[in-house]
Amino acid sequence: MAQPSSGREPVLEMTNISKAFPGVQALDDAGLSIRQGEVHGLVGENGAGKSTIIKILAGVYHRDAGRIVVDGSALDEVTSRAVHEHGVRFVHQELHLVPHMTVAESVFMGHELSRAGLIRRREMRRRAETFLSERLGADLDGETLIRDLGSAERKLIQIARALVDEGARLVVFDEPTAPLAAGEIERVFSAVDRLREHGVASLYVSHYLAEITRLCDRVTVFRNGTDVGSLADLDEQDHREMIRLMVGRELGQLFPDRRPERGEVVLATSGLGDGATFSDVDLEVRRGEIVGVAGLLGSGREELIDSLAGLRRSRSGHVELGGQRARVRSPADALDRGMALVPRDRRNDGLVLAMSATDNINLATLPDVARHGWILRDAADQRARRMVERLDIRPQAVERPAQLFSGGNQQKLVLARWLVAAADVLLFDEPTVGVDIGAKAEIYELMTEMADRGAGLLVASNDAAELLGVCDRVVVLVRGRIVATVRRDEVGIDELIALVTGSEEAPADGGTGAGGSPATDVEEEAR
Amino acid sequence: MSALSRVGPDLVPAARRVLLKRGPLLLFGALLLYLSVASSAFLSTANLLSSLTQAAPIAIVAFGLAVVVRGGGDDVVAGGIDLSIPASAALATAVISDQLANQGAGVLRALILATAAAVLVGAINVLLVTVIGLTSILSTLAMYATVVGVVRVYTANRRITVDDPTMLFVRDARPLGIPMPVWVMFAAAVAFWLLLHRSAFGMRLQAVGGNQEAAATSGIRPRPYIAASFLIAGVAAATAAVVLVARGSGSSPGIDERLLVDMVLATFVGSAFSRRNVVTVPGVMLGAILVALMSNGLILIRVDNSWIDGFKGVLILIVVAAAALQNRRRA
Amino acid sequence: MSATDRADGVKPGAWVAKYAFVAAFAGLFAFFALRTTTFLSASNLMNVLEGSMILLFVALAMTLVVSSGGIDLSVGIALDFGAWFVLIAMLEYDLAWPLAVIAGLLGGAVVGGLNAFLIVGLGVTPFLATLGTFFIGRSAQQIGTGGGGNVSFRGAPEGFQSLAGGAALGIPHELIIGAVVLAAFYVVLQRSTHGTRIHAMGLQDPAARVAGLRTRRYRTLVYVLSGATAAIGGILLSSSLRLYTPQAGFAYLLDAIAAVFIGASMHPRSRPNVLGTLVGVLFLGVVGNGLDLLGLDFNLKAALRGGILVVALALAFLVSRRGSAASASGD
Repeated sequence: MAQPSSGREPVLEMTNISKAFPGVQALDDAGLSIRQGEVHGLVGENGAGKSTIIKILAGVYHRDAGRIVVDGSALDEVTSRAVHEHGVRFVHQELHLVPHMTVAESVFMGHELSRAGLIRRREMRRRAETFLSERLGADLDGETLIRDLGSAERKLIQIARALVDEGARLVVFDEPTAPLAAGEIERVFSAVDRLREHGVASLYVSHYLAEITRLCDRVTVFRNGTDVGSLADLDEQDHREMIRLMVGRELGQLFPDRRPERGEVVLATSGLGDGATFSDVDLEVRRGEIVGVAGLLGSGREELIDSLAGLRRSRSGHVELGGQRARVRSPADALDRGMALVPRDRRNDGLVLAMSATDNINLATLPDVARHGWILRDAADQRARRMVERLDIRPQAVERPAQLFSGGNQQKLVLARWLVAAADVLLFDEPTVGVDIGAKAEIYELMTEMADRGAGLLVASNDAAELLGVCDRVVVLVRGRIVATVRRDEVGIDELIALVTGSEEAPADGGTGAGGSPATDVEEEAR
Repeated sequence: MSALSRVGPDLVPAARRVLLKRGPLLLFGALLLYLSVASSAFLSTANLLSSLTQAAPIAIVAFGLAVVVRGGGDDVVAGGIDLSIPASAALATAVISDQLANQGAGVLRALILATAAAVLVGAINVLLVTVIGLTSILSTLAMYATVVGVVRVYTANRRITVDDPTMLFVRDARPLGIPMPVWVMFAAAVAFWLLLHRSAFGMRLQAVGGNQEAAATSGIRPRPYIAASFLIAGVAAATAAVVLVARGSGSSPGIDERLLVDMVLATFVGSAFSRRNVVTVPGVMLGAILVALMSNGLILIRVDNSWIDGFKGVLILIVVAAAALQNRRRA
Repeated sequence: MSATDRADGVKPGAWVAKYAFVAAFAGLFAFFALRTTTFLSASNLMNVLEGSMILLFVALAMTLVVSSGGIDLSVGIALDFGAWFVLIAMLEYDLAWPLAVIAGLLGGAVVGGLNAFLIVGLGVTPFLATLGTFFIGRSAQQIGTGGGGNVSFRGAPEGFQSLAGGAALGIPHELIIGAVVLAAFYVVLQRSTHGTRIHAMGLQDPAARVAGLRTRRYRTLVYVLSGATAAIGGILLSSSLRLYTPQAGFAYLLDAIAAVFIGASMHPRSRPNVLGTLVGVLFLGVVGNGLDLLGLDFNLKAALRGGILVVALALAFLVSRRGSAASASGD
């Protein structure tokens, strides 16, 4: 390893790591080196081996070959206990918390403070509160139940759990911002920054290149189970290079060109509200149109999509589908009127993971592949195979359970289901969360194609770039109300973020570049 | 600070929320009030103490169940439940009675053998659940049937009468005017409370039951905790057996079935009384006492025996339905 | 699927595990054949089949419910109601026997309907809902029979008696009915659009909902149908005994659950399935019949039966654990 002379010893050195699963060489001679106190990014497409190398470091998988040196000592057998003793901590992607436990109990989970076998509740509460407020800037009551917290706070609790025993030398963050909204992400960033100030190194895994350049000192790129390059002194100019390394070629355009041709209104709402999280929402989506919904977590964005889809009751206003009033009380009602949802939580709500790709694709339209209720397996398989080919879903094995497909391919399975159902109106909630960059472009392409064929799309997302890249118009929700509607060519990403956060709430540290035009400057919603 | 915190909570009228939250308790309150008006004997000290005595074995086996439910999660089908506890208690009751009455053993030896038998049942559950991977409802139900069969063979399905002085002492002594079985219940309650709510073991068990992956990533290996929970349930069964032997002056056929019903009832009624809507030791004890009070009260006002099961069924449904509606409201 | 499970490799004992249950079944079969003179006779094998029919209906009902992601502890009650209503309809309302059979089916459906109301309408978990129904149904039988007496109808119409007792072309009616219902369940649950939807709902309810399935409607149907199917068993029981004994159905609950899970363990993805359930039912039938032929004491038989069940479940699940270990690959 030729290292620039930084004088700092690596806190973690993984070299020549290989790992095979039946049928897959997940890691092939991969390496990763992290210096003391640095924030080190790790990027790569799904399947590149990022998760595998992290799980090897965590002691979940055992490597087939390779050398692992933590803090100067070589580890022969990596167990979760051994790496913990060497100061390696993990902040996993999933929110690993128990809803009915308290903040203090959660922070100290696994290393409870006890005396003679009995826990010291007061001490735990005090130390948890102090730690959260001093080290992570979160003022929380230690007795609050986890289920009463938002996702950003939950993520901070997870970080606190990793750090509270003060023995951390290296903290591995696996997609820490995935469940968070733009304004909340800063809180995680500042937690990482504080770690660096305290001389603790971080390994930061993310799909979001902007986060990598904002936070990391260096970045390592993985492709096909090995490290293909490292970059230092990052700025936005490096995005292209990172993408090139990740996909192994120049990526064309991420977002497809659009020449929207708008037809009649297929989805309209007026005065829609659920009595709590959003109100007075007037929306209109026409055939051939892609409309975005921007808003923070808690802006009513998720709830709006859920009520449109029939997963949540609305209490005021009404919805029109294809020009007729529609009472949508379940997704089944929505589907009867040609409207379908591509949900944000793909693994829970999008796919029946244990069922085959065929079953998942046909699930909404089973009668099409059945005669008198008897499923014609050949017809079902054939139809699935056609979709798998058309959407380039890999692997092309339709009998494979959905859980064995990668994030991007899982999302395509959901899209395939609605393509065969010929849905007129599609609701997308976070369409590309957890999807790697190559598949992202394909999904945007598909969305555009759906619109071009005459469907109307409503797309809710956290990602301002995505909304401006793929949508014709974007409505902005703040505190449950539409405050603005902007056209894609009218505003930049910074301005959209400023709108979403509301001018009086723009983050003070301005990490995402706030300071756009106030809401009143933008065209009020037409009509 | 958190200007981004979520928009306000559900705006359900407070009254309705309180009714759902406190509904089960109010219902019990109303029922008890009615019973005390309808029967003058209901509130008598004698009746209250006899209800508490009846509650004792129910509460103790339910403490054992509480440990298993905590460690397995409260989804009864996929999570943790131990339906074999009453059968273990019946087995331990038979062992104690047989040892004292027929084998001429001392109390200590009888108790040790009984505890060993009940813990052995727990160990087989551990094998089935954690090693072989059966769901706990299936394996403990099968164990229930097996152990009940074994008890029948062991006792030839006959009553064994015990006149051991220690057992008679537990039956008859009343320190501070309170019967011994009630003291045993209180002692067990304190022990289980410390174990579940105040010990590191209890915290970890709750983490394991709430989210196995969360526990695992916090360095807690789930299996030993789940295994321990079934063994502890065996100890609870043996403890209940002492009270059962004393109260019944021996073992009689069929105690397992009544105990099964009341244990499940007390446990799940009890969870409706906790802030987090989970199974807790105080909740379980309250549940057991209320169930016993109700059974006693209904008998006092001469409700036909046939109706009592029905009452219990309706009761459990009202309590769990209130909890379910409350959860739905929160979601 | 927990993160800490050893995710790599296939265990060497896998091959042994795969055939453990089949081998045990065969071994038991051979044991009974060698130890008794009558076990292998054609008439006895017919007895095994006929003797398994009532359990078959209850187990099919359970298969349906477990496929939908629930559990039904009240199948025994539905069976009782079927057995009871069919006799009452003839005895007290002088209905023609075919109409009485419909009344019996309705009796089971009412039990299922109550479950559906609690589970779909109020959101109570299936375990607790059907447990509540179980208590209420038990109490209702006690009350309705004036304390648990039998209802006997010696002079039941010929046609009704021949449901269980008669034969066509040498094949007992009971078997024909069993085969027809089995086939219907197979088609609906394993081969039809409805079955795919029920399985989807059982595996992952939110995803099934988002895919546009009317899960509430299906779940309601599942419980009602489960009640009616169990009631078929009750009707046949009444037909063969010309007698209704309250709470006779409870005896089938554990066996039904066990049959479903033994069956599920044989499925490549460990799903409950109709043919697997049939194997489970036949296994339990063989065990029961064989133990009868050995002429053992009643109590010992119960204990042995339970023990064999525990071992069978353990062996069966060794198989399915192996299957689920293959799911971890790629990231």
